[in-house]
Amino acid sequence: MRRLFVLISLLMLYAAPAFAGINIVATLPWIGSAAKEIGKDKINVTVLIKPGQDAHAIEAKPSMILAARKADIIMYDGLDLEIGYLPLIIESSKNPKLIPGRPGNFDCSQFIAALDKPTTVDRSMGDVHPLGNPHYHFSTSRVLRVAEGITRLLADADRGNAGYYEANYKAFAERLHEKEKQWRAVPLQGKKFIAYHKYFEYLSAEYGFRIIGYIEPKPGIPPSAGHIEGLIETMKKEKPDAILVTPAYGMKEAESLSAKTGVKIIALPHDVGSMSGTDDLISFWNKVITSLK
Amino acid sequence: MKSIISLSGMFILVLMLSSATSFAADVDDRLNRLDDSVKKQEQTIEQQQATINDLKADLERQKGQGSTQLPAPGPQTTKASGLFGGSALTNPNISVVLDMFEYGSNLKNDELANQGIAGFTTEGLEQQKGFNLRAAEVFIFAPVDPYFNFYTNIPFTEEGAELEEAYVVTTALPEGFQGKGGKFKSNFSRLNAQHPHAWDFWDIALPHRAFLGGEGMGGEKGVQLTWLPAMSFYTQIGAEVLQGENPLLFGPDAKEGPHAYTLFVKSSVDTSDYSTFYFGPSAVFGKTKTQSVIPDAEVVGKSALYGLEAVWKWKPASREALTIQSEYLVLVQRGDSTDLATAAADSLLRKQDGFYVQAIYRKNRWGIGVRYDVLALLYDTFEQGGVQQGTGGKPHRETVSLEYNPSEFSQMRLQYNHDRTDMTTRRTNNEVILQFEFSIGAHAAHAF
Repeated sequence: MRRLFVLISLLMLYAAPAFAGINIVATLPWIGSAAKEIGKDKINVTVLIKPGQDAHAIEAKPSMILAARKADIIMYDGLDLEIGYLPLIIESSKNPKLIPGRPGNFDCSQFIAALDKPTTVDRSMGDVHPLGNPHYHFSTSRVLRVAEGITRLLADADRGNAGYYEANYKAFAERLHEKEKQWRAVPLQGKKFIAYHKYFEYLSAEYGFRIIGYIEPKPGIPPSAGHIEGLIETMKKEKPDAILVTPAYGMKEAESLSAKTGVKIIALPHDVGSMSGTDDLISFWNKVITSLK
Repeated sequence: MKSIISLSGMFILVLMLSSATSFAADVDDRLNRLDDSVKKQEQTIEQQQATINDLKADLERQKGQGSTQLPAPGPQTTKASGLFGGSALTNPNISVVLDMFEYGSNLKNDELANQGIAGFTTEGLEQQKGFNLRAAEVFIFAPVDPYFNFYTNIPFTEEGAELEEAYVVTTALPEGFQGKGGKFKSNFSRLNAQHPHAWDFWDIALPHRAFLGGEGMGGEKGVQLTWLPAMSFYTQIGAEVLQGENPLLFGPDAKEGPHAYTLFVKSSVDTSDYSTFYFGPSAVFGKTKTQSVIPDAEVVGKSALYGLEAVWKWKPASREALTIQSEYLVLVQRGDSTDLATAAADSLLRKQDGFYVQAIYRKNRWGIGVRYDVLALLYDTFEQGGVQQGTGGKPHRETVSLEYNPSEFSQMRLQYNHDRTDMTTRRTNNEVILQFEFSIGAHAAHAF
């Protein structure tokens, strides 16, 4: 047994491969995509959460801890979205660059004004985020601010390439402005939708449509029969244009609601890469906005 | 604008009227000067108006562009975002976990209290039939400064409060090193470091109960050093120096000063995007002085407990997971046993093992679990004075459980144990447990 122990211990030790460029760990796919727009080939990006996964229920897997161990910068959504696993990842990574207060600890929400900030919070309201709705990646203007913050972060960390990062930011902003002219032409003003989760609040604020009801009675709490009945009543009165749902979250409930009310379902990606043709931020927003027509 | 012009007109009129009463020679000159000054005023007004119009036009253009204008530099908001979340500022994070259960068994309370495992432990079962309160566990944690994080765990039971854990973890050591010091749960094996409320079943696995006690090794005072090298797959290596107060494996009086040492390696690879394998060996060595192994006798000597852990978790969706977990423990204990009544001493040699395997499948709010535990699987040496003592067979247990989790903060569990560990009377302990767990306060971490 003692010999086996030593043998297994030795087997686990072998040389570490070398990395070039700034190592960035991003919790969510959209953050990784934003970093990639600015850093391109000068950075290595590891995204912890797979596009198909739901950011609310993630465990600190050892592979995530290892990625953080090798990182120069960890970028996260903030507003307590990652509170369940990020503190553990940062502490277990044993990487002093990532502790709060250091430049390597990059909270993307520091650049944005959050919506839905509740004045009083307790958990009887479900999994409410006291700092506001954390799904601000549906807001192009907010993500652009984050991208600008990333530009400054990278320019500080790698001064030799500061001009390169700034040029990438400008190119990204210009591409986004061009696309936004098309998106602004999509008639979404005054449309009414039902949604499963509070994902689309930022989009509704920017494009002037309304979310008149939620399939989830409270964030993270699955619906009861009584709640669904009430929702059907609302839908009969208000006649919403569609039910908005993401493939990872609540598809079954949305389908049954659609069958009962005849209101169509619009499936939207919840993050970059979670549906086909949404491989970067701009194609993700494009898919979301054009799907809402 | 018009009012300004008409005001200046009135002003001129008043001046002209007043000037009529002054010297006639001055009139022309004065009128000319007034004329000039009014013209200058009008020019200024026109310039200001142009500036206003320009600004208005700018504003209109910006409105037309909507959100496409380039963001102004600098953070929009200044937000506190600490390690454990932004809502707590300088106060420590506090959470409380209530763990209670209803217990049923075919055995009587006094029989449960004497339900040790012959050849392993004389410690009986603590629970009583009916309602039991395991603990209301209070967790308090916060960063101390940029160099340490501080954690405490104080379970309040009906007997009082107990300081189960109080330790600091370093955050600023370089090269993947981390220190821990204080009173903490050892990282020897997998179950040992978990708190009772985080176990996948109501009770700890049989090998841990047989070699370490009903709650594992428990909090031990000491220090730990771990290292996570930047390799291509996750491997953490660690060592601990502990006081060695666990009453079953070591005993506080076994030696003055620290007398327990651990070594462990934990490794992990992702077997796919949605599945992870985690495994590693660990060992704990130390001096032993305990009366909890053989009835009415004291064991003094040296112990070594070796462990091998393996976990495979498949998580295809956010609310669906299958976890298969297994551990194997081997104890080697050498020393003397002294009868407390007669003071007769015998040499003692124990080489015994224990194994469990469990599977939990959780989907949405529901979970089902199965577990099999067995002792003396491959090794069953228990020699006193060089003579093997019959322990009567392989103690074993089968378990099934059903969980209902309304949210991640509340859990209910119904568990049945078919406990065949009593090899002396060979009576089965059929246990039925209905357990409730609730947690409030700071968000607990989702450990793998």
